[in-house]
Amino acid sequence: MAKITIENDFTPIVHDDKNILEVNKLKKYFPIKDGLFQSTVGYVRAVDGITFNIERGTTMGLVGESGCGKSTAGRTILRLLEKTGGQVLFNGKEVHDLDKKEMKELRTKMQIIFQDPYSSLSPRLPIHEIIGEAVREHNLVPKNEYNEYIDTIMHNCGLQPYHKDRYPHEFSGGQRQRICIARALALNPQFVVCDEPVSALDVSIQAQIINLLKDLQSKYHLTYLFISHDLSVVEHISDTIGVMYLGDLVEFGKKEDIFANPLHPYTQALFSAIPIPDPTVKMNRVILEGNIPSPANPPKGCKFHTRCKYCKKGVCDVERPHMKDMGDGHTVVCHLYDK
Amino acid sequence: MADKNIDLEKNNNPQENTGNMFENENELNEDQRVKILSPGMLVVKRFIRNRLAIVGTVILIVMILFSFIGGALSPYAENQSFYKTSDVAKDYAAAALNNEPQFYYANGVEFENTLVKFEIINAVSQNKTYLKGKDYFYTVTEAGEGFYLIARAEEAATVKLDQNGTAISSEYAQDISSELEEAFMGCITSGEDNLSFEGKDYSVVSMADNTYTLCVAEDVGVSTRKVISLLDKNEKLTFEFMRDFELALNDKKNEFEFDGATYTVEEGNSFDIINKNGEEYACVSDYSIQSTVSGGKISVDEMASIVDAITSRKTEYTNPDGVLCSITNKDTRYTITTDKKTRILDTHAKPSKTHWLGTDKDGMDNLTRLMYGGRISLFIGFVVVIIELLIGVILGGIAGYFGKWVDNLIMRIVDIVICIPAMPIYIILGSIMDTNQVDAQMRIFYLMFVLGILSWPGICRMVRGQILSLREQEFMIATEATGISVRRRIFKHLIPNVIPQLIVIATMDLGSIILTEATLSFLGLGVKFPYASWGNIINAVNDSYVMTHFWFEWIPAGFLILLTVLGFNFVGDGLRDAFDPKMKR
Repeated sequence: MAKITIENDFTPIVHDDKNILEVNKLKKYFPIKDGLFQSTVGYVRAVDGITFNIERGTTMGLVGESGCGKSTAGRTILRLLEKTGGQVLFNGKEVHDLDKKEMKELRTKMQIIFQDPYSSLSPRLPIHEIIGEAVREHNLVPKNEYNEYIDTIMHNCGLQPYHKDRYPHEFSGGQRQRICIARALALNPQFVVCDEPVSALDVSIQAQIINLLKDLQSKYHLTYLFISHDLSVVEHISDTIGVMYLGDLVEFGKKEDIFANPLHPYTQALFSAIPIPDPTVKMNRVILEGNIPSPANPPKGCKFHTRCKYCKKGVCDVERPHMKDMGDGHTVVCHLYDK
Repeated sequence: MADKNIDLEKNNNPQENTGNMFENENELNEDQRVKILSPGMLVVKRFIRNRLAIVGTVILIVMILFSFIGGALSPYAENQSFYKTSDVAKDYAAAALNNEPQFYYANGVEFENTLVKFEIINAVSQNKTYLKGKDYFYTVTEAGEGFYLIARAEEAATVKLDQNGTAISSEYAQDISSELEEAFMGCITSGEDNLSFEGKDYSVVSMADNTYTLCVAEDVGVSTRKVISLLDKNEKLTFEFMRDFELALNDKKNEFEFDGATYTVEEGNSFDIINKNGEEYACVSDYSIQSTVSGGKISVDEMASIVDAITSRKTEYTNPDGVLCSITNKDTRYTITTDKKTRILDTHAKPSKTHWLGTDKDGMDNLTRLMYGGRISLFIGFVVVIIELLIGVILGGIAGYFGKWVDNLIMRIVDIVICIPAMPIYIILGSIMDTNQVDAQMRIFYLMFVLGILSWPGICRMVRGQILSLREQEFMIATEATGISVRRRIFKHLIPNVIPQLIVIATMDLGSIILTEATLSFLGLGVKFPYASWGNIINAVNDSYVMTHFWFEWIPAGFLILLTVLGFNFVGDGLRDAFDPKMKR
């Protein structure tokens, strides 16, 4: 087997102070190990060079179908996974270059809310401990204000003071998600990755949580990276939207631009699937053929060309498209827009 | 809860919303609410509802009280031996009926070979008068009733006569004067046996073919049927004394001199008594009677009563001190025993008020030993479980948390430890400690150590497996995202989630360790005397007599082991069910 090399060619970007997060050609490959000596025989290209910026106080929605690398991207940005290549600048600092002490400091500034509120709370700890543990760890508040602080956080997240001594198993899914949010917000972060925070909840609770997140955003001036496959939720909460397909960020831009004028064929197909609550309107759905290819062995050229109806033979299946700015920060990665 | 959520949705603002909730009159007050239980309390609740688990708990509490409090309450110490005074038949004297001729030889006489001695004995019984050894003649002369004098004779001259009484040939071994020769010839013709010449005794022995031999005779021994029992055990009968005594008796004299002392023979009821200088010295009877107690003397009166008892076939007699003595007969050898009050170990005593479960083979109180044994058995169980938990949780936690090569290394170590055959190791170590004569207390510590060292892999594997699965849970990723330290992550998040399984496995292990310890102690490899353990108490059944006759020595220990292990297993099962949240009992 030929030796697998990971290309790591990116031009370092200059930090713009209005951006809280700048992601440049971020790559996360998972090695595939096989054989007697567990040698690496290949990589799953979960995130294969994505580039976007998030401005302070805004929400970026990251959409895409299951397994396209949304969650991996979110976790790699938080350095819960080590990157394979590229840059993650948080407030202009490379997250993956920080040493242990700096990283611990940074942990309070970046937080994550998980998809499954059932497995994301330790079943053996009472709620006040789950929320306050990290507060004490980082000495965020003086000892005498600690209880009050936890109360405030819980109050802000819609939890009652008497919930403090309860255990996670006594809560419903929506309440658990509130606990998760409280845990994240207790550290007073600037940036929160919401990793499909509502997809495990039923619709009525989804709305509560989304609204809660929005309220907290305005209250604490938070910046969200909102990962979801639910376009309507993303439309509701996001300022900018990134669309991912097989580890690539195929389109990125303002919410309005993307919803009004989706450029990439995949985005078009994806957005055509949004149901319209009117039975008289005939939906003009774009049905994608075939399945999503394996990220371990992605197609050559444009990764989407196997399913793309605009696929140009000899171009799309050979050459990898580059990111093109279509104006007003609306970027797309597609050969259709080659000039 | 649902109505509150609807509230939330209506308001779309959690802050206002929560404010509303406090003001809501429909809201339950704190005291009206169903009491919220922590997971631990829920476990306790489920555990209490499990009847079998409660039975197990009660058993264990009783066992622990029995072992740890009982030992303190018991009036006896762990290895306190109890004694009782009891009448024990002790050898007092021995008597034997004598039919055989007794032989006494002069001091310093050496026979040519042992065959001669036998031939002398033969000669006495067959009434032969002489026999020829290699170098000497021996003559046996009947000097009285049942009394033979044995003389050794050296050949001085041999004369062979023809039919007319004329000497044909003569041989002289010594230079013999002509006067002696004449006297010798005179004896031959007159047929006399003895010849005294110039103060020397000679005997003339006639042999076949008209051959006569003149011998220089010397008394070397006597054979007598009389038995003389000396009253003083320290003195010895000599040949000379016997000869003089018999000769005196034959001459119907009641008095004789020997060795400067005067002896008188006095006829008693049952036998004759020899007085030495007026004091009782020995008695003469068909029975030889001797005291078997060191320094003991049997008086003449007592001997008389013994002889009386034997001859009248009684099995008992009362000695002069008024003590009843019993006589046992074995092939005309009589053993006289007396019951003596002796302080002996109160072994194998039946259950009684003082010893509720009797005593064991060392005379120790069984119940007290059971209490102390339980203390040691339970203590070993607890310590070993603590050792294996310490090693197992630490190594398993490290392997599970850090994974990769650390995990690989630790798991290979676990594989190796699991491959060690435990029983042979215990047996080998037990015998090593036996040969090194390790102190009994140190043995207990070594035993705990070895049991702990060999039994942690199960716990290690379990912890590692649990932590491997927990590590991938989102709440562990959350702890990383919130920057919680590794130590806290392991001890606050991982270990508490493993604790239910740990408690169950530890409880079960306690039972099995107590069993292992009992097995080892039973085999004599574990806890050793003077320390008690349930295992080495059961060890008493090694003696099949104890097994069949003294149930109270080993059944209770076995029963306690059974109960305790059962108790631990019940509690373990109960805990396992109680920790399972799906159990809604």
